[in-house]
Amino acid sequence: MFNKLPSLSTVENPVSLALITGATGGLGKAFALECAMRGWDLYLTDVNEEALGILAKSLQRIYRIRVFYQASDLTDPDSREIFFTKLEDHSGLFTCLINVAGLDYEGIFTQQSREDLSTIVRLNVENTINLTHRMLQLRDPILPFRVINVASLAAFYPMPVKATYAASKRFLLDFSLALREELRSSGATVTVLCPAGMPTTQVNMDTIEAQGWMGYITTRDAGKVAAIAIDAALSGKPVVIPGTINQILRLAGSFIPATWIATLVGNRWRTAQEKRMNLTMS
Amino acid sequence: MKENLKNKTIVVTGATSGIGLSVTEELLSRNANVIGIGRSPEKCQECETRLRNLYPDCLVRYLVADLSLQKNIHTLSSQIFALLIEENINYLDGLINNAGTFVFWFTQTAEGIEVQWAVNHLAPFLLTHKLLPLLKNAPEARVITVSSQNHSWTHMHWKDVQLHRTYNGLTAYSQSKLANVLFTLGLNQKLGANSSIRAYAVDPGLVNTDIAFKGTPMLVRWIWSIRKKSAVPPAQSAAGIVSIFDQPIQAHPESIYWKDGKPRKPARWAINLDDAKRLWEISERMCDMQLSEVDHV
Repeated sequence: MFNKLPSLSTVENPVSLALITGATGGLGKAFALECAMRGWDLYLTDVNEEALGILAKSLQRIYRIRVFYQASDLTDPDSREIFFTKLEDHSGLFTCLINVAGLDYEGIFTQQSREDLSTIVRLNVENTINLTHRMLQLRDPILPFRVINVASLAAFYPMPVKATYAASKRFLLDFSLALREELRSSGATVTVLCPAGMPTTQVNMDTIEAQGWMGYITTRDAGKVAAIAIDAALSGKPVVIPGTINQILRLAGSFIPATWIATLVGNRWRTAQEKRMNLTMS
Repeated sequence: MKENLKNKTIVVTGATSGIGLSVTEELLSRNANVIGIGRSPEKCQECETRLRNLYPDCLVRYLVADLSLQKNIHTLSSQIFALLIEENINYLDGLINNAGTFVFWFTQTAEGIEVQWAVNHLAPFLLTHKLLPLLKNAPEARVITVSSQNHSWTHMHWKDVQLHRTYNGLTAYSQSKLANVLFTLGLNQKLGANSSIRAYAVDPGLVNTDIAFKGTPMLVRWIWSIRKKSAVPPAQSAAGIVSIFDQPIQAHPESIYWKDGKPRKPARWAINLDDAKRLWEISERMCDMQLSEVDHV
């Protein structure tokens, strides 16, 4: 039989039911696997019901945990409300919330549609606030409650070509740190995850490739990032930046004026985007 | 001596390019019937048309399946059963588990399983089980799984077989190839010495294929392009794989690992019976094997 699948004992980590948004994406699946290997029950959500069903069935079977799922388009306030009602109807009490769902439409601000820009804010900001608020009411009152908000290394820098996205991630960083203080005495912790690029889609892989050696040294696999984030959340850490190089970049960035960073980042991203387009076309 | 394989029916996975395509051509040149499996509908169509013209006296059929997903393997096995019924055949003389992949970054399938583990190990494990009833009907059947010399580069990572915390593309690839040898060992143990089915793991050698060119970084592609220069053509490797059909299955009862048509010694840890048993149990659970299916063995 299986002997030592979960890497940590459930006594030390009494999390029993975790909600993961964006569960069928690259990082969402990695979080789902990490939680499943720890023996936690899961409640998964994402846009595509079929994909959720396939993932849920597989995890439930392999790890012998309970996996619930409910499809929802969290960019749409109406769909979100229906999802919240389903969550309230769910009989189990939650002990962990992992806000992975987020999106970006990369490009020059003036060339983007207002609808796309609003969608970024609705999902990355509005949904995170609403869902976190609702989940704090659905938490298990006895066990510690862990919130992991997935921001980005972009949260630390003004980023041309990703202006709205980076600002939305900055919001998540500040929101998470402030909420963490508010919840300090309630047995809940908030951890904000700030990863660099992750090779979760072909577009992301092309972006990493286009950045050359810099892309490779800053990139961490989604599986590793998810594991680091959960370890950090369980020990109540406020901010997680996976990868030593990324931590150094973050530290170096704090000594440079924001305007300089914006110029540097802008130049780098423009070059990378051109290279990526060339790669895609070839 | 090359046996004539007339009236023998063999399934080959990954049969649209590289080693799998060469194995298919070698089998057809020896008059075997071949059911090729490929992921791309266009490539499958192209191969089927071309090979049917070249070998009009053989049964050449291609089926499309992405073997990274278990639900596709269940569908595929039903299609193979249906196709054979259509041809009035109720047996399989061989299954060549050749399809394999190399993935540089940690990537999961829609079922949440790491891709190399899913394609390189779980797919052969599940497909073999699904086809066992057909393999049992043949007078002598061979299950050949294409492993690699890389199997000796690593050990099994039992605490995390999908390596999700410590992923390295080459380690994951090597571990999946080690799993191929352990699966072969486990299958022969389960089947018993008197079984009409025998399993073989094959080292294809360093073969000139594009395995490390698909979705990998420039550095990996560059290293592979240099290594490829000393590689043998797929046809040479395929001849060694198909030559296993020239040996009676009882000829080398102790040998599970073959290269160039000859028995070789695999790594010491690839023939550990306890590890083979443990891998079998993990794989059964990951593939949702029903007890009845396992009992077939």
